[in-house]
Amino acid sequence: MADMSPQERDLAALIVQTLKLKVDPATIQPEAPLFGDGLGLDSIDALELSLAISQTYGYQLKSSDPEIKAIFSSLRALSNAIEKNRSK
Amino acid sequence: MLDAPLIGPYDPDGVLAREADGPRTARQFLSDVSRLADSLPDRPAVLNLLSSRYEFLVGFAAAMLRGQVTLLPQSRAPQTLRRIAGEYRDSYCLTNQDEPVEGIESLFLRRHGGLAGWPKRIPHIPLDRVAAIAFTSGSTGQPMPNRKTWRALTAVALATGARLGLTTGRQSAVVATVPHQHMFGLEASVMLPIMHGLVMHAGRPLFPADIRDALAEVAGTRILVTTPLHLRACVTEGLRLPPVGLILSATAPLPRSLAQAAERQFQTEVHEIFGFAEAGSVAERRTTDGDQWQPLDAVRLTQGSAGWTVQADYLPAPVRVPDRITVDADGRFVVHGREADQINIAGHRVSLGDLNQKLLEIEGVQDGVFFLPEEEGDCVTRLIACVVAPGKTAEEIQQALRRRLDPVFLPRPLLLVPQLPRNDTGKLPREALLKLAGQQAGGSPHDA
Repeated sequence: MADMSPQERDLAALIVQTLKLKVDPATIQPEAPLFGDGLGLDSIDALELSLAISQTYGYQLKSSDPEIKAIFSSLRALSNAIEKNRSK
Repeated sequence: MLDAPLIGPYDPDGVLAREADGPRTARQFLSDVSRLADSLPDRPAVLNLLSSRYEFLVGFAAAMLRGQVTLLPQSRAPQTLRRIAGEYRDSYCLTNQDEPVEGIESLFLRRHGGLAGWPKRIPHIPLDRVAAIAFTSGSTGQPMPNRKTWRALTAVALATGARLGLTTGRQSAVVATVPHQHMFGLEASVMLPIMHGLVMHAGRPLFPADIRDALAEVAGTRILVTTPLHLRACVTEGLRLPPVGLILSATAPLPRSLAQAAERQFQTEVHEIFGFAEAGSVAERRTTDGDQWQPLDAVRLTQGSAGWTVQADYLPAPVRVPDRITVDADGRFVVHGREADQINIAGHRVSLGDLNQKLLEIEGVQDGVFFLPEEEGDCVTRLIACVVAPGKTAEEIQQALRRRLDPVFLPRPLLLVPQLPRNDTGKLPREALLKLAGQQAGGSPHDA
C-alpha cells in the first residue's frame, strides 16, 4: 500500500475521478510518474486535470512555469505544488 | 506566375514572429532561413519536428529553398516517424537537441542571432514545388500522403484571409493551440499569418492560463486559432482573456452552445473552418449563424458520379468530399457526417454525424458521441452514446433525444461521462470509445 498524506489521497481521488481512470486511488504510487510510463496520461488529460485543480484548489497551472515538468512528475510533486499555491 | 514570395507584406524591421525570448523581425527570419538553408544536408525530404512554431517555419522555409519536401507526420509516435522515414529514402529529421528520434538520422537546429545571412530580398518559391506532404491515418493504418504544392498552400491562406476579412498592413497577431505539423495548423497558424504580414506567436499554449498569457504577449488584433477542446477549457475556467478579434476553430464540430458562450465571454466572433487533409481548408462559417458552410472563393463544389468533389485551380485533380453534404443553389452546404459513419439499424439508415449533431443541440450537453459497439450474436446491435452534460440526468437527455430521433436510434445505454477520450486533435478514436463504454457500463445503471 502506498504511503500517502491526506492531501495526496484527496488529489489522487480527484485525478481518478476527473480522468475516469480505472484504478483505485489508494494504489497510485505517490512518487511514480503521472504521464508517460506511470499512469500514462497525455496532454489532453493535463488540460482536463488543470481545470479540475483550478476549480477545486483555485490554482491555475501554466506550462510556462519553469517548474511545470517537476510539478507534473508525480502525485507527490503535484500535491506539494498545490499546497504551496492553493487559494481555496 | 511561376513563383510566389516566401512571405507576405512585411516591413523588413516589422515583427514576423513572437518567440519565447522576444520578437523576430522579417529581416531576422530571412537571415535565419538563409543560414539554415546553407547548412542542410543534400537530401530530398525532411521530417520537421521542431516544436517552436517559429523554428518550424524557419526549417520549412529553408527546406523549400533547397528544394526539399517537408514531411508532416500525423503523430509523433516513434513508430509512425520511422515508418514515414523508411518510405522516403534518404530523408532525415530536423528536431530540437533534447528531442532526438531513435532510428532516424537527426539534425539539431542551432540558434544564432545574427543577421549575417540577410538575403536583401525575399526569396521566391516555384508554385508547382511540392512544399509539404501531410500524412493522414489510412484505413489500414498505413500513413497516407497528401501532397501540398506552394501554390495550394498560398492560395488557401489568401482565400481564408479574404473570407475572414484579414487586411494586410493592419497590426494583427495569431496565437494557436493547434500543432503546426497538422494540416489545419500549417494552414491557419503558419501560412495564414505569414501570407498576410501578421505576427505569428511561436508557442503552443495548452492550459487556459497559457492561452491568456500567449495572447497578452502580442499586440493589435488578436486571432486565436484553436479547437473545441481548448475553447471549452477557456470557457469553463471563466477566464478573462485580453481582447480577441477572432476565434478560429477546426478539427472537430463545435457545439453551437459553446460557440455562443465563447462569443459572450470573450466579446468576439467564433468562426469555424471545414476541411480535410486531402483538400485543405474548404469552407468557413460563423458557428452561431447556423449550420451552413460557405465555400472559400477559390473552391468549387461539383457533383460527380461518386458524390461531391472539391475543385480548385491549385488542386491537381478534383478531391472527393469524405462527408455527406447537401449543397444548395448558391453553393453553400450542410455537412451530415462522414460517409464512412453510415450505420444501419434494423433497416434504418443514419449517419453517426447526424446523430451527434442532434445530441449536441440539446441544452446542457457539452460534448457527446454516438457509436456502434461490436456486433454480437444475431440480436440487433444498439447504439451507445457517451454524453458530457454536468447537472443533467441520463433520463433528461434521453427525453430530449426521443423528441429528435427515430426510436431505433435511441442509445442503449446512454452513459453520462465526465469527458470524452479525445486525442490531440480533438478526434475520438473508436478504440478509446469502446474502452470508455466498457468501463462505464460496468458501474452505471443502464438507462433503457
